[in-house]
Amino acid sequence: MIDFLTEHQLYVVLSIVLIVWVGIVVYLVRLDRKVKELEQTMKRDR
Amino acid sequence: MMSAVKFGAVGLITLVIIAGLSIPLSSSPRGWLEFPLIPGLEEKARNIFFHVPTAWTTVVAFLVSMFYGIRYLRKKNLDDDLKSSISAGLGLLFCILATVTGALWAKFNWGSFWNWDPRQTSIFILLLIYGAYFALRSAVEVDEKRATLSAAYAIVAGLTVPFFIFIMPRMMSGLHPGAKGDASGAGPLFESRMMAANMRVLFYISMIGFNLLYVWLFNLRLRVARMNHQRLSNS
Repeated sequence: MIDFLTEHQLYVVLSIVLIVWVGIVVYLVRLDRKVKELEQTMKRDR
Repeated sequence: MMSAVKFGAVGLITLVIIAGLSIPLSSSPRGWLEFPLIPGLEEKARNIFFHVPTAWTTVVAFLVSMFYGIRYLRKKNLDDDLKSSISAGLGLLFCILATVTGALWAKFNWGSFWNWDPRQTSIFILLLIYGAYFALRSAVEVDEKRATLSAAYAIVAGLTVPFFIFIMPRMMSGLHPGAKGDASGAGPLFESRMMAANMRVLFYISMIGFNLLYVWLFNLRLRVARMNHQRLSNS
């Protein structure tokens, strides 16, 4: 893996882009979970 | 207003990903569609479009958190506390991203993922400081008490941010661009002569894109937090 990336450094850049993307997705998934909880409690309250 | 932020964030970052990864390198670049070949960095020079904006967004988010901390202490409005904590959370997210992308870049430029370079040490301390902020928040049950304590903490923590990002890593000698005794000049990489005009333009587009992304995520998270707060105070 490391050897491949040392050989093809453009993929190092791609990996960095993917790390940032994964971080944003994790944040969105957690936010989605909060919205879902809110929806469920609102349904129960009604 | 918000739709401009959303389209701006998505459009600008998409543009930066496409152009940043696909514009070819050349040892004698001509025109706007070639990047200069920087010795020692080569393809990895493209990392600057993604790594630096995450670090910059971290600074913005932590300072916004401090701003709303000050506002909470002055006006005692719990909405400011929500904003302060949400911004600190986003700051922590981008701080982690800057650390991880930096570690990966370090592996291929400095030889190891982590070598306690002054820059790595200072961002690690920042992670600890803001990790402790959330530990503090989860330890206090009463809303007003939690808000006051974390506002005070956010102000003190915010004051350390410029020191750990802009001052300490530049006072000490290290491998990160901008460290003391750096051959390429005293400033950060994007200010150095090595970067061509087209790289600089794309870099600033990326900075704007990431800041807009921060505004969008902040707004989304705030709307959810407000709804949650409203529901709790109604019941």
